[in-house]
Amino acid sequence: MSLIVAAFGFGLVSMSIIAISAVGFTMQFGITNMINLAYGQVMIASAYAAYAVNNAGVSIWLALPVGAVFGAVFSFLLNRLIYAPFQRKGTNLIGMVIISLAVSLVIANVMLPIVGYYSVSYHQNPGTTYHLGSIALTGAQLAIIAVAVVVMLAIYALLRFTRLGKAMRATAANPTLARNCGIPTARVVDLAWLITGALCGVAGTVAGMNSDSFSVASGSEFLIPIIAASILGGAGSPYGAMIGAVLIGEMTEISAAIISPEYKQVVAFAVLVLVMVLRPQGLLAKRGALAAAG
Amino acid sequence: MPVETDALAATPAADPQPSAERPLLVASHVSRHFEGVRAVEDVSIDVLPGRITGLIGPNGAGKSTFLAVLAGTLPASSGTIILDGDDVTALPAFRRARRGLVRTFQLPSEFAQLTVIENLLAAAPTNRGDSLRGALLGKRYWRADENRLVEQARDLLDRFRMSAKESDYASSLSGGQKRLVEIMRALMLQPRLLLLDEPMSGVHPSIVGEIADYCESLRDDGLTILMVEHELHMIERMCNPVIVMAQGSVIGQGTMTALRQQREIVDAYLVG
Amino acid sequence: MTYYVTTLLVYAAVDILACLAISLQFGVSGIVNFSFIIFQAAGAYTAAVLSLPRDTANGGFQTYILGLNLSFPIPWIAATLVGALLAPPIGLVVLRRLRSDYQAIAMLVLSVIASLVVTNTPAFLDGAAGLALVPQPLSDKFNPYSDGYHWAYTAGALVLAVIVFFIVQRIINSPYGRSLRAMRENEVAAKALGKNAVAMKMSVFVVGGAIAGLSGAILVGFITTWAPSTWLYPETLILFAAVIVGGRGNNYGAVLGALLVPVGFEEATRYLPTFGPPGLIPALEWVCIGGLILGFLWFRPRGVLPEQRRVFAARPKPIEATEQYAGRD
Repeated sequence: MSLIVAAFGFGLVSMSIIAISAVGFTMQFGITNMINLAYGQVMIASAYAAYAVNNAGVSIWLALPVGAVFGAVFSFLLNRLIYAPFQRKGTNLIGMVIISLAVSLVIANVMLPIVGYYSVSYHQNPGTTYHLGSIALTGAQLAIIAVAVVVMLAIYALLRFTRLGKAMRATAANPTLARNCGIPTARVVDLAWLITGALCGVAGTVAGMNSDSFSVASGSEFLIPIIAASILGGAGSPYGAMIGAVLIGEMTEISAAIISPEYKQVVAFAVLVLVMVLRPQGLLAKRGALAAAG
Repeated sequence: MPVETDALAATPAADPQPSAERPLLVASHVSRHFEGVRAVEDVSIDVLPGRITGLIGPNGAGKSTFLAVLAGTLPASSGTIILDGDDVTALPAFRRARRGLVRTFQLPSEFAQLTVIENLLAAAPTNRGDSLRGALLGKRYWRADENRLVEQARDLLDRFRMSAKESDYASSLSGGQKRLVEIMRALMLQPRLLLLDEPMSGVHPSIVGEIADYCESLRDDGLTILMVEHELHMIERMCNPVIVMAQGSVIGQGTMTALRQQREIVDAYLVG
Repeated sequence: MTYYVTTLLVYAAVDILACLAISLQFGVSGIVNFSFIIFQAAGAYTAAVLSLPRDTANGGFQTYILGLNLSFPIPWIAATLVGALLAPPIGLVVLRRLRSDYQAIAMLVLSVIASLVVTNTPAFLDGAAGLALVPQPLSDKFNPYSDGYHWAYTAGALVLAVIVFFIVQRIINSPYGRSLRAMRENEVAAKALGKNAVAMKMSVFVVGGAIAGLSGAILVGFITTWAPSTWLYPETLILFAAVIVGGRGNNYGAVLGALLVPVGFEEATRYLPTFGPPGLIPALEWVCIGGLILGFLWFRPRGVLPEQRRVFAARPKPIEATEQYAGRD
């Protein structure tokens, strides 16, 4: 029993990381109507960017913003240089998926010779371990949870209260209508890629902090719980992704404690399959992963 | 403010042979809700055979949604749809199409990388080669069907004066030509009821009259048509009766002339 | 030398089979089956565990299920069937209600998970180490190390590739192939015209799965080993690159793509002088594969040999009406 409670504690950390990444992932989908399969690779590239700074002797907490900025700029350029031109050309949905998978492959293999094949880990002081019953979390893990809470609140405030947030929601709902209403959609899309890219960078760095070590191969591993959480919540819905992250984070950690850690991803996948069969639109979205009816 | 539909339906001023006709399609209390938005709310209509029924109304009135619900592209939230005595409400779109309830789309939806004649042939329902088994059995098995359908498609192309475009990719056609391809494609199924969703939108004005001519000629051959359209003078020319929708509900129906005398309808739509 | 040439040709046959299946699914029908490689893997594993003896009787250094020691051609037939039978359960989850790009993602995730499960379940198919010493077809009757055997195997593989080529050709040049292309172009419209899109997708999923299963059996029968590292998800992307480069929806394009991309890359790097740290060349290879996809989708999206326009013979010769259309049948 205490094992499960302890796993629940790790689940809090997992869900935090998944939430940050899944919100970015699902917002990219919401705004641009495309699934960016290179997201996991951008996460890992950002984690390495933070590692470069960290390795030079800077605290990982100061390196975290570097990861965020790297992720933002990288994602922005990715959209500007590759995705947006293809979309303007009229490439269809499946074309864009193939393109993003190809991009993911290119990023991973350009990174390999640069950062090497071996796993690395951050130089960090995990801090004191805090106990609450069977739950035992390090100071660093608590800090990750705090980062996630701050980021979620910031996203909520952005979407709820700012002009930019409203413009983003309008653009996501209907780009043509938004443009006709005088919303500078091109700029909104640029900003959306910067913001979601920053989330991606933060997520990659905290994911690196929470794991013993990471390597280029971790990129595709990151992606599965993110996809599962996004689709579970309803593709394109940031709040849905948050709920999805909570569920996926806890389910994977608790099942890891009960069954075996190797099957963490399998549990995330099982959830994904169930959602696809029972409610493809997800918990919160109108359309989600659902095809046009007919 | 919905007007009593019954009162209007009971004024078939220009109907040549009222009441005796058995409707081809009866939609009763059909609703379609999207996450709380009532796009179509409790709509009941009869479509009489051998006529072009018009469906008009302001943007957002739910006309296209209603058409999609009739064709099965969108499932109905409630209500029943009876086609020639058979309840088709639970059938998916492709089964309704096979029963003769065939629609076209508001946005161009040609099979872009198929040639014009292939667009028509792809819609043909009775080709022995149009199954995995038939395909594997080889050309000898389906050649006769194919030849017959090519002839049928060519007859249609002649009738719609599109023969010259037979082997062009559909993507290369003009807006009006794409409309004609979609209509011909639907006709390949030999439909009992053709649902046209704004067949004249995005079409060069010079072709609008041509499309109307084709529709009337099809009607004269006995085809029943239900048409959503914004071109009111064309609706007036072709359609009897005309059904007016606003905010998801039917607010009136009758001949165009009769409708023009209904103050509420004029207020709701015809003027603004 | 014989071994080199025959290996090359067997790989060519396997890649041609795979590309034909992907061309049918993706090129003709518009389904992005990112889990394609697991169909091939299922075929390879099936052929392996059916032809291998019981794991306890095989040196005991690997563990796996079955081990029925069946003789050729049963393992190959079973591999084809398993490839086909794997399609309906996946298709039922993925192909029914999801948007096309989510279908692709679901299958991608499935591919990653399948590899994870096999790797982490050693008792099933010997985990990460994989199966080795898979008996070659008819090796009890012929010497599998002889040149003659290699050539016969190669000939058999190529004949199967040719047969499958003509089967796929029949499908895509038939009225059914036309309906598949119509569905690819506009699924909602195809449904409104009476096409049962789910059943159509399922049918090409099954046919493609069968071809993939067969290709796995041919490969494992030749190389005699099979492990998770040979069927990671990027392998599927190589095949997509091949079909995109060769020309989607055109069988000759699929063959050309198979020869240019998977076979060509493997050969090109064999002759490159080694440079840089170990692993640099494979990494560059993957960058090139990704670059090829992006480059072709940008500059020549229909590939080197695009889908052919079908023209029907003119009316005055009604008897010959469809000759030109199905001229390659």
